[in-house]
Amino acid sequence: MTESTFFRSEEMSLIQLYIPAEVAQPTVSELGELGLVQFRDLNPDVNAFQRAFVGEIRRFDEMERQLRFFTSQIEKAEIPVRPTHPSVYMSRARSRQELDDLEERLSEHENRLLQMNNSHETMQRRYLELVELKHVLRETSDFFQEAASHQEDIRHSFDEPTAPLLDDLEAQAGPSDGRDHGLNLGNVTGVIPRHKMQTFERILWRSLRGNLYMNTAEIEEPVIDPSTDLTVEKNVFIIFAHGREILAKIRKISESLGATLYPIDPTADRRRDALLDVVRHIEEFNSVLVNTTQTRRQELMRISENLTAWMTIVKKEKATYHTMNHFNYDVNRKCLIAEGWCPTNDINTIQTALRGVTERSGSMVPSILNELRTHKEPPTYHKTNKFTAGFQAIVDAYGMARYREVNPGLFTCISFPFLFAVMFGDVGHGILVLLAGLYLVLNERKLANVDGEMFNMVYGGRYIVLLMGAFSIFTGMMYNDIFSRALPWFQTGWVFNVPDDYESGVIVAEPNGHTYIF
Amino acid sequence: MEALFYNADDGYLEAIVRGYRGSILNNTAYINLTQCETLDDVKLQLGASDYGSILQNEPHMSTSMLAQKCTDKMVQEFEYIRAHAVAPLQQFLDYMTYAYMIDNVILLITGTLHERDTHVLLDRCHPLGVFDSMPALCVATNVAELYNSVLVETPLAPYFMDCLSAEDLDEMNIEIIRNTLYKAYLEDFYHFTQSFGGPTAEIMAELLQFEADRRSLNITINSFGTELSKDDRAKLFPNIGRLYPEGNLKLAKSDDIEQVKATCDVFLEYRQFFDNTAAGSSKTLEDRFFDYEVHLNKKSFQQQFHYALFYSFLKLKEQEIRNIVWIAECISQGQKERINNYIPIF
Repeated sequence: MTESTFFRSEEMSLIQLYIPAEVAQPTVSELGELGLVQFRDLNPDVNAFQRAFVGEIRRFDEMERQLRFFTSQIEKAEIPVRPTHPSVYMSRARSRQELDDLEERLSEHENRLLQMNNSHETMQRRYLELVELKHVLRETSDFFQEAASHQEDIRHSFDEPTAPLLDDLEAQAGPSDGRDHGLNLGNVTGVIPRHKMQTFERILWRSLRGNLYMNTAEIEEPVIDPSTDLTVEKNVFIIFAHGREILAKIRKISESLGATLYPIDPTADRRRDALLDVVRHIEEFNSVLVNTTQTRRQELMRISENLTAWMTIVKKEKATYHTMNHFNYDVNRKCLIAEGWCPTNDINTIQTALRGVTERSGSMVPSILNELRTHKEPPTYHKTNKFTAGFQAIVDAYGMARYREVNPGLFTCISFPFLFAVMFGDVGHGILVLLAGLYLVLNERKLANVDGEMFNMVYGGRYIVLLMGAFSIFTGMMYNDIFSRALPWFQTGWVFNVPDDYESGVIVAEPNGHTYIF
Repeated sequence: MEALFYNADDGYLEAIVRGYRGSILNNTAYINLTQCETLDDVKLQLGASDYGSILQNEPHMSTSMLAQKCTDKMVQEFEYIRAHAVAPLQQFLDYMTYAYMIDNVILLITGTLHERDTHVLLDRCHPLGVFDSMPALCVATNVAELYNSVLVETPLAPYFMDCLSAEDLDEMNIEIIRNTLYKAYLEDFYHFTQSFGGPTAEIMAELLQFEADRRSLNITINSFGTELSKDDRAKLFPNIGRLYPEGNLKLAKSDDIEQVKATCDVFLEYRQFFDNTAAGSSKTLEDRFFDYEVHLNKKSFQQQFHYALFYSFLKLKEQEIRNIVWIAECISQGQKERINNYIPIF
């Protein structure tokens, strides 16, 4: 067993594990936490959905879907989710009982949330109708006054022979039935989204050949459409036309275009009463809506406390079962056979972990670890610490070194920042980079939990940034560049001997013996 | 010549469409799908493909939901391309949607005649063929009114010239209207693509000619035994196909499938449609048509710098959705004997 060094990749050995079936899941969890074994797939020709643990994975898929649903709801309600700290609490395997509990809790939460969402949506819809009705009542009072004045004009434009007939009608239909304005003028009132207004007008005009009088007004505040959660701007419209057929047609067209119709009474008094009624209902609904939103928010806040933890648990368990799908099931001894690569120096650690799992679970049968001899080429594994991890990542991006080949990552630790500094070369900017690197390194632990793709990239390379800053200061001095300006600290090493009768021509500078101190 | 100027306007979109084409399921994926036992397995298998992201948030799988989501994705991709297109590609893409508009119009008219609810009908319309004043179709009672109130401002207006004579809207007449509209649309589309010249004209000519011939054959075969007179039938054949003009005349006069087969024997490719003696194949005529269509559409991807790519992409995506839905239906109904009757694309 050779010592671990960063100079080469680790020596790996192929191990075979015999794990009793009952402790399989905690064992794999534990090995997963250690992160020292790479398992080989012993069932390469089996389809993805014919493998042994597909049912379990599907359960976790379902739970993951529920958690995603919760995340989207929480984001919509703008509740901050508490990020978790990686702690020992997270790293133990969950027992079957705990997972069943978790599944139940998640289903419960989901059901409650769906119910609350449904009732909220229904109430929001009714509230919306009331608000629209209020606007409609307000606007139509103006319309009716206008229409009444138009009525005077229309009536007077008829020829004489027909005048008595109309007067008759008017006398009959006058005060008793406020609906007819003497010319059988009916109305259709409603609300329609603003962007459909044009199409609506065009279609009405074409199908009724212009036999209508239409008036519209805009509703200033946009309303929130409950099914799509977007704000929609709407217009109130009122159409006057005569004839039952025409009115039916108008109603059909408006409904097919998605307008909501509200029956409006032509008499002013009943309209006023209706308006007061509606305003009162709106108040009531408002309070109920506020209550529902409050309850929903509380539920979401309760969920948000554990959300990240649950996500991690579910993902880990899924990964565990995916790995277990790679194992072979030995029917005779009722155990799972696993094959994998691990560093030879760490075999003891793995043995200890296996023994620990056996003790904790109280099983009689221990797991057995066998080393196999093989001619296959082992995978490359570089042991890195927090300093060398960043450099190793950069080198691996170009290509993984072969097994037991010299690791370029070792040399990159110095050469990469140096070459960067050669290109960067500015004392002032170098100091800034150095300070940034220092800040990241000194506050390592606090900044470890911050989320954000760009930040994670910089945080992962904090030691690289630190070294780059340090080297840049050096090369900046070499280039004599501080914030792109030159420093006059050291004398120049060249002197120009200009003869007195200089007119033009080339003068060569001569070295005068001064050199940089360092 | 197109190679010099095509990329300036349409290069980005061609790249996008080729990317989409790369995500079309290949034969291995279909074989894996046929081995699934339940719809949840299908969801697992599709999870690895481009459809994974749209299916992962669905609690319960059903074939109708699957079809809906896949169609939604296809519509999304098409709308993305259409939003970024400039003329003349934009007109080309608009032409592609007219076919769906015709289908939607006929669907709405039929539904209104049978007194179905407007909103249910609107939900069943194909999303690519939606136009603004579509809901107003539900109030119309005869063709003239339909035309005057709604259709005159849609791009379908010029296709209605030939069918305004059909006054009553009953079952037979609606089919006649549909086919008349489609004939006018196909001819218009054909002339439009021919105006481009170059590979677009060539490839689209091949595709549209096959489409025209396919419709002629379908109309002929479906009209055996109905009251459609031979003159009426002849009026419905598009005149851009390879069967025009003699083939169309012969089809108009034919009375049974043997005569149809004789008409098609002239063309090598069409001969194989009626080759029922081929060993072991239980493919219907429809299946063979789809086969040949897929073959033509795959060919169009071999060339660059033309617009037929976009047409072929849409058709291939539709075929893929048909395949997936067929397999899902076979699985959910437990009839796995005919599950291999899908048309493999790549």
